[in-house]
Amino acid sequence: MSAELFVDPQLLRLTVAIAAPFLLAALGELLMERGGVLNVGIEGMMAVGAVVGFLGTWGSGGSYLVGIGAAMLAGGLLSLILGCYAISLRGQQITAGLGLLVFGLGLASLLYRAAVGVELAAPRIQVLPSVAIPGLARLPVLGEVLFSHDLLVYGAFLLVPLVHWLLFGTPLGLRLRACGDNPRAADTLGVNVVALRYGATAAGGLLIGLAGAYLPLAITGGYSDGMVGGRGWIALMLVILGRWLPWAVVGGALLFAYVEALQFRLALVTKAVPPQLLLALPYLLAIVVLVRVYRGAQAPAALAVPYDREARG
Amino acid sequence: MATSVEPAPPPTPTPAVARHAVAREVGVYAAAILAALVLIAILLLLAGANPLVAYGTILRSSLGSLGGFGQTLNKATPLVLGALAVAFAMRGGFLNVGVDGQIYLGAICATGVAFALGTGAPALLAVPLVLLAGVAGGALAALPAALLRAVWGVNEIFVTVMLNFIFLLLADYLATGPWNDPLAGEAISRPIAAATQLPPLMPQAGTHPGILIALLVAVVLAWVLNRTRLGYSIRAVGDNPIAARVGGIAIGQIAVAALAVSGAVAGLAGAIEVSGYHQRLIVGISPGYGYMAILLAVLGKQRPLGVVVAGFAFAVLLVGSDSLQRSVRLPQSAVLVFQAIILLTILFAEAMRTGGTGRLLGVVRRRLA
Repeated sequence: MSAELFVDPQLLRLTVAIAAPFLLAALGELLMERGGVLNVGIEGMMAVGAVVGFLGTWGSGGSYLVGIGAAMLAGGLLSLILGCYAISLRGQQITAGLGLLVFGLGLASLLYRAAVGVELAAPRIQVLPSVAIPGLARLPVLGEVLFSHDLLVYGAFLLVPLVHWLLFGTPLGLRLRACGDNPRAADTLGVNVVALRYGATAAGGLLIGLAGAYLPLAITGGYSDGMVGGRGWIALMLVILGRWLPWAVVGGALLFAYVEALQFRLALVTKAVPPQLLLALPYLLAIVVLVRVYRGAQAPAALAVPYDREARG
Repeated sequence: MATSVEPAPPPTPTPAVARHAVAREVGVYAAAILAALVLIAILLLLAGANPLVAYGTILRSSLGSLGGFGQTLNKATPLVLGALAVAFAMRGGFLNVGVDGQIYLGAICATGVAFALGTGAPALLAVPLVLLAGVAGGALAALPAALLRAVWGVNEIFVTVMLNFIFLLLADYLATGPWNDPLAGEAISRPIAAATQLPPLMPQAGTHPGILIALLVAVVLAWVLNRTRLGYSIRAVGDNPIAARVGGIAIGQIAVAALAVSGAVAGLAGAIEVSGYHQRLIVGISPGYGYMAILLAVLGKQRPLGVVVAGFAFAVLLVGSDSLQRSVRLPQSAVLVFQAIILLTILFAEAMRTGGTGRLLGVVRRRLA
């Protein structure tokens, strides 16, 4: 095995593409958590996003817009269920999130069977076409790695500065962060905590639904149960690893995407290592990373704490 | 992120107050379950099935015949054990999402020991050894999460989730590779020797004695939680970790103990599935029991008795929806949706009762009156 195996342009290109769903889901979760709502059901919401995105595209005869729109809508609706528990009912967010997780996993599989049936050979769609950015795509190496992707990849990476600007450059972002850190103070100053938390939760749900849709639309071209494969949990972890900062999430997303891409690559060149060991690499990496994740992590102070206007505080 | 889950409800005061509270709780549960049944009925209608026929099929197939009832008891075994595992750790404020992985490693260890024993040992010795191997495997599977939590404060939720994937892949490797049965096909190991198999409880119904083991474990765990020093410490950490630490309880040790016991119980479920039910290691040995176990632990209020009742109810649902699959062509995964709907409606009802919305309704009612 030579060193080129680990840095060749194709591998890096795949890394950037695979990072997109991690990034979308983590940015969605980050928005929610900055507002004070913890969503542990990402995995289930992504599963629904994947199946709805696939069925929308397949059912409309290959219209990606229909699939993407439907998946985002589904993610948004599911996150509103969580919002109802977390914000209005002021219930246990982890428990409601786990309920939503199981609901999503079941619903995804149910929708697929209901729409496709069992006997048919698994239907497939064409994956999203690559759009080379004129000029930049012809740069040596970098052009291939960074500038010849499908539009969702560009979108995911452009969202990073956008979310950063929203959170740290606008009054709306300041208010949202206040809702996550000290909702009582925010409320005192006339910020509508309930509305902002619902807004952030819904926006996060849209992105998580999109992250789910990315998997069948851009990577596999088909849907299968369990295809999310822990990416939702890893996205949840990336938010903590990135210390709730959009820029810092990118590094973690690229790291996990690289390991996933590398595992495909290694499976092609080595026959000696059992494939299951390669498949386990991202999860092993996650456990190693977790040790660092919690060193000095400072979550939004009111994360997962419901806000009750009438409570004495 | 918040790490404590579901602080256990405070001890019940005087009998009269307690009776009133229990009656109200039962009322809330009944109303929530009714609402869940209505929601599921709507879902069934959307799927083109008659809900009454479907509910009848569920009950008849799971409870209406000896064979069906035997299957329900078999299904209840991993559900009850898994839920007991989650509930035990939850009492200490630890969330074990890794029951699936612990079932897998328990099943792997049980199968390994069964292969090692072969036909050499008498059943009286071999079966307990196989089950103990499962217990050890389950505890081992929970150990990384427990130690990381104790030493570095790493959230056990993530570690247990990641370990699920890893142990599933290990089972897949063994069942497709070294232990594969070429006659059985993909992802299934060779059968274990007859002497290492749990003898049937009701041979005509195909029932194994796993449910009795599960009930015994429920009694033992209730005793540990309520009558021993360890149980007291676990509950203290779950109720108020700071007070517990100030009171001289080593939280790290309690985390390791609670999660290891939790894993051991889940591992036992894996061993029973191998020794009593499949008689082999198969990759589908846990069709998501881990997630169901969390829902059950919440529904059963983390109390062993509540968990047993909830586990049995979910087993009825599982076996029933199996036959639903045949009669109204509803996919197996529908059962996950049903279970989640039941949990969410009950959470909704509880939040309505205790949370701000209940007060809000009170205000509205007063204004209207």
